[in-house]
Amino acid sequence: METLERTGADEGAPDQPAASAGGTAPGAGRPTELYVKIAGGFVLALGVLYWAVVEEKIRSTLLTVIIAVAASAGIWIGANLLFNQVRGRWQMFNTIAFAVVGAVLGIVLHGNLVTIGSGNGFLTWVIGPLAGAAAFGGLGFALAQTDDPSKRRAIALGSSIAIGLVIGAVIRDAYQPGLDPVAIVVYTLVGIAVGAGLSLLLKHPPLGGALIGAALGWVLGAWGAADLGDGSIGTSIIAALVPAVLIGLRLGMTKNPDYKARVAIDNRSRAVIFIGPALAFISVMLVIPAIRTAYLSLLNKDSVDFVGLDNYKAVFDDKNSLDLTNWTNMFTSVPFILGVILLAVAVVVGVSMQKRTGRAVEIGNPTVAPLVVGLLFVCFGAFTAMRGTLINNLWWVVVVTFVSTAMGLAIAVLADQRGGERVAKSIIFMPMAISLVGASVIWRFVYTARDTSTEQTGVMNALWIGLGRLSTGSGLPTIIATIFLVLVLVGLFMVLARMLVRYGPGRAVVPGILIVLVGWLFIRFTGIVGGGVGGFQTLPDGSVGGQTVFFVQETPYNNFWLMVIMIWIQTGFSMVILSAAIKAVPTELIEAAKIDGATTSQVFWRVTLPQIATTIGVVVTTLIVGVMKVFDIVKVTTNGQFGSQVLANQMFAEAFSFQNKGKGAALAMLIFVAVLPVMIYNIRRMQRES
Amino acid sequence: MNKRWLKLAAVPVALSFIAAACGSDSSSSSDSTSQNTTAAGEGGDFGGVTVTITGPERDDPSIAAINDTLNAWGETVNLKVEYTGDADWEANINTQVEGGNPPDISFFPQPGKLADFARAGYIVPVTDEVNTTLDEFWADGFQKYGNVDDVQYGVPAKTDLKSLVWYQPQAFADAGYEVPTTYDDFVALVDQMAADGGPKPLCVGIESGQATGWTFTDWVEDMVLRQAGADVYDQWVNHEIPFDDPQIVTAMQTVVDLWTPENVFAAGGSIAATNFADNGQPLVDGQCYMHRQANFFAGLFPEGTTFADPSDPTAVDVFYFPDINGDKPVLTAGIFASAFNDDPATMAVMNYIATADYAQTRQKNQTEAVGGGLSGYLSAAMNQDPAVYQPLEQSFLTILNASQIARFDGSDLMPADVGAGTFWSEGTSLVNGDTTAADAAAAIEASWPK
Repeated sequence: METLERTGADEGAPDQPAASAGGTAPGAGRPTELYVKIAGGFVLALGVLYWAVVEEKIRSTLLTVIIAVAASAGIWIGANLLFNQVRGRWQMFNTIAFAVVGAVLGIVLHGNLVTIGSGNGFLTWVIGPLAGAAAFGGLGFALAQTDDPSKRRAIALGSSIAIGLVIGAVIRDAYQPGLDPVAIVVYTLVGIAVGAGLSLLLKHPPLGGALIGAALGWVLGAWGAADLGDGSIGTSIIAALVPAVLIGLRLGMTKNPDYKARVAIDNRSRAVIFIGPALAFISVMLVIPAIRTAYLSLLNKDSVDFVGLDNYKAVFDDKNSLDLTNWTNMFTSVPFILGVILLAVAVVVGVSMQKRTGRAVEIGNPTVAPLVVGLLFVCFGAFTAMRGTLINNLWWVVVVTFVSTAMGLAIAVLADQRGGERVAKSIIFMPMAISLVGASVIWRFVYTARDTSTEQTGVMNALWIGLGRLSTGSGLPTIIATIFLVLVLVGLFMVLARMLVRYGPGRAVVPGILIVLVGWLFIRFTGIVGGGVGGFQTLPDGSVGGQTVFFVQETPYNNFWLMVIMIWIQTGFSMVILSAAIKAVPTELIEAAKIDGATTSQVFWRVTLPQIATTIGVVVTTLIVGVMKVFDIVKVTTNGQFGSQVLANQMFAEAFSFQNKGKGAALAMLIFVAVLPVMIYNIRRMQRES
Repeated sequence: MNKRWLKLAAVPVALSFIAAACGSDSSSSSDSTSQNTTAAGEGGDFGGVTVTITGPERDDPSIAAINDTLNAWGETVNLKVEYTGDADWEANINTQVEGGNPPDISFFPQPGKLADFARAGYIVPVTDEVNTTLDEFWADGFQKYGNVDDVQYGVPAKTDLKSLVWYQPQAFADAGYEVPTTYDDFVALVDQMAADGGPKPLCVGIESGQATGWTFTDWVEDMVLRQAGADVYDQWVNHEIPFDDPQIVTAMQTVVDLWTPENVFAAGGSIAATNFADNGQPLVDGQCYMHRQANFFAGLFPEGTTFADPSDPTAVDVFYFPDINGDKPVLTAGIFASAFNDDPATMAVMNYIATADYAQTRQKNQTEAVGGGLSGYLSAAMNQDPAVYQPLEQSFLTILNASQIARFDGSDLMPADVGAGTFWSEGTSLVNGDTTAADAAAAIEASWPK
């Protein structure tokens, strides 16, 4: 391989100067580039070939690819060519289209070894499809010949009777169905109802749909619900003939389309040819598995017995899913109390705003910040008291979505059109390039705790214990840190005073909050209240030792530390999207607002924010959907232990570790149902926009 | 015109690449099966087919030893063996089986899972030839855990002895401690060590990634075996008594009572945050005196540690985790190889794994792979050459063979929901102080599949 690469490099190198020289004369460089491309392609092809000869697996894969490509391209091109005939040569189109259906039916019947003599390659791949193609092609040709309704009915009915008889007669003994009249009647009636209903829905006469539905229902009832191998040649003829006749009746009702209708068919067919493969993939990979999951969620552990909604009940009855026994604890949790205080502040501010502007809550007025943050804190406090998988998932959704969006927005706004914007945004976006598993491994190291007699290897604990040492120590570093805190506080007080004097109380809010926070830190740091701050503990002998925080193991706050990993990754995402939206806000609007005398913050709250509201909606819904499915982080860090279980990880454990298919499927359905409203909202908004 | 067709072709080409990518696995696996079939009648020559094995052993010496041993033998019959160690074997083997893409052979550390797989029809019984080999080299007591409903599915591939306590004899001598011979002595020694205020008595850590908690289950099993006896142990494991039976709750409580901050040095700050493999270093560093862990823990001591060497003051040795009723029970574990198909090549590999030759060759290779000292491997196969084992390993085998009551690790025999699920997670919660022994046992009992 190495020699091959070198050859490629050698051939490429001499061409380089030529290519750059060619750049001066337009067009002259093109042949050189072409040579380089050809040489490169040649080398690449040689490499692949060499590889293919050496590796048996590569060879067979290559062969599969070539056959698959050829077959797909053939079908693709063939379908396009076929539908090219619709406008001009209806008869030809009809014949070929029917023949293709017949050939496919022949292949399916013989390929699945249900007919007499099948299993023989020649019969399966040549005679079967040819016979099917001839029979159906003849029918298509004959139908295209005449427009007389009675003749068409006779042709369709006659041919379908013949085809049904032949198919019924050539079924192998082992596949002849033992007919179950009840099943046939039920399935046929259901088929009629569904077919007629669909026709009415599409505003077609219901009879046609009913006939097709009856035929499909009959097939399901006679073949699908029957014991194959119990019947005789008579039963298989009945089972095959009736649906054939029904379809024949339906065909007899059709007319040959006039030119206008044919143009419509031609146009519509292209859409089908283009979307068809995608639809087929989605239904095979997504829709059918989803339906099957819903079905499995109603069955037991081994997917044998029907248990109704027991799996769902088991999920909700499980103490690990939802445990509200200690819900009153939330009233004593710090975040909850902080949140209530903030909400009280919001009420006070709201009342004053009501007096001044007539509106208590309005985007951009001072009520919003304490209101939103207060609500977040109250939720946070509630989630620490109520436990369980479902609560954890909710907690993840609320915190990660809110924090990621808010931080992304803040960074996007603050960095906008400032020096170093690109560098800063690139760095913040960087975690997006790290997989969730990789990020979890990284953060597990960050959170690592070691015994306090040894050095901490995790950054967080090292910092925390370092802070504890500073706070409880009395050496030079402690004095320096104290002086630093005092200086910061003094500076903040000066800013506060200036704001109060110059602008009034409104502008003093931010420095006021900072003073409260830094002041509290100062009080704790110097040990006036609580003896200090950071990771320390007083040992029995009176000395002071370190105390680690078990970020990953300590319930319930470990949930938050796991969320930090997600926030770390997702902030970059929301920042990039929101930044693009901010840059797309027309500058005329902002300039107009500024000319009218709006301050920077007014411009942001009253002009920019309403303009990017839809984008914020996109970011929020995308985050909700992503976070609802969170799996990797929990799997890698705790595997759901220490009260950090989430739905997706529990689903994996139930379905794949414990082999409890029913419960796993039920959990999957829960996630699906939880995500559904958000998806519907997203799709509807997209439709509205277009 | 050409260009247009090219564009039209792009979509199906892309789609078919996906189809080919999805399909390539199945086509290649069917290829290997057909090769296996062609090799059927040729006896000692399997035409160079590859037999794939997966298993939970993923440390480099084990992987190298398994591959070298099987391939050295494989050369004589012209077949290749590929062993892959899988960190997430418990979950991945299920996925592989569900996806219709199992390995030829897998190493099961849990007979409970092996039984589940056997009843589900995923694995195949061994052939008569393998059975004969088993009878020649393995005692019934070890064969029986690979036996499901009187049909032999598993072949013992490795034996572990769990009722061991690691310690440094010199450290004991320096502090004037004696090796305890009864459980009361053991508890008294722990109390003495804690009171002396030097190194902590025990090193304990139960973190093990996605299997966090298994160390705790081992302690509980050893404790049930000692406090309540082998009969209660069997009833407990087979769910003939409920999991929250008072005897079990007592055993769980005894363990957590022993694991107090005064008694335990946890390298990770707390027991639940300490990886089970991180207990060798502190023992050697003199941060604790004892560590109860299975024989394979030899491989997890820092490089250069010597074992059972009286001339080296830092040497590490083991003593039997003392019993209460004087019946000397041992807790064992092990790995069973089981096959997913009965191709002749697969069964030939199974047959070889059942022999003493496999055991001693692997032992030799693994000793070399770890650079001398204890290999971490042990096999209770009969008729092995004792010379391949170090003195300490020979004493493991002596304990193992002398014990009247040997019981397999209970969590590996219970259904996966419990043995690899709630027993781990509730045990971890208990150790972490988030629940009580009674509540944890009740929660585990509630999760036992009906």
